[in-house]
Amino acid sequence: MTLHYYLILSAVLFAIGLMGVLTRRNTIAVLFSVEIMLNAANLNFIVFWRFSENPEMLHGPLFVLFAIAVAAAEVAVGLALAIAIYRHFKTVDLEKLTTLKEQ
Amino acid sequence: MTEAAAFWILSAVAVASALVAVRKRNLVHGVFALLVFFAALAGHFLLLLAEFLAAAQVLVYIGAVGILLLFAVMLTERVTGEGRRIMIRGSIFGTLAAAAVFFVLIWPTLSMLKSPEKNTHALTTRELGERLMDPYAITLEILALLLTAALVGAVAIAQGRLDAPEKEEPK
Repeated sequence: MTLHYYLILSAVLFAIGLMGVLTRRNTIAVLFSVEIMLNAANLNFIVFWRFSENPEMLHGPLFVLFAIAVAAAEVAVGLALAIAIYRHFKTVDLEKLTTLKEQ
Repeated sequence: MTEAAAFWILSAVAVASALVAVRKRNLVHGVFALLVFFAALAGHFLLLLAEFLAAAQVLVYIGAVGILLLFAVMLTERVTGEGRRIMIRGSIFGTLAAAAVFFVLIWPTLSMLKSPEKNTHALTTRELGERLMDPYAITLEILALLLTAALVGAVAIAQGRLDAPEKEEPK
């Protein structure tokens, strides 16, 4: 398997995630589309590390570790926000959430 | 040969489950498809000889993020979405934009003539830990701070204002 296959795979996954972010109405569906995009980027880091000339520096795996931790923090805050918004507006429909303050 | 077979199977599973997760009407089914996607990516990490990251992927994504998403789905609206649009108005433009980004992303890949050699550097957990301590110690500390802040913030946001009066039930 050469580098090309992996890069095309991660581009496909990133595009699928982006399509979800841009087209879904439900806030939580958008959040998990973001997760798909993050994972596609992680795959790219690992692949570039595996095909690099000095793999002993471990740039790729370390960056992926940090990205996983940041993604976990992002999911926790994102879902808390989704639940707070749902409590306030009684909906998580992005087409109805058009204001930042009470109506 | 087996590596190529594993690559194609894992890739097919990853792409199919990502598509299902993004397009599925029932959000609970979508979350389970997402878990399959995470598992397929963990398989890819194994294929690229990054065992520790595959384990971290399974623990963090399938274990924690998946459960969190399931809870969030069940705590909010009706999950099935029967008989409603699940796409926003004008979603065709979103799809076109995603396709455009895809072509921009694969453009340099297609014009890349020769793939560099794949190395076989073994990723040991010990080496990873030493790297985390030696040049990246500050990053690790900042990350720990970020995680703490995020978790405290998540609790604070999700519980709402304690002194707030009970809201009237919406009609």
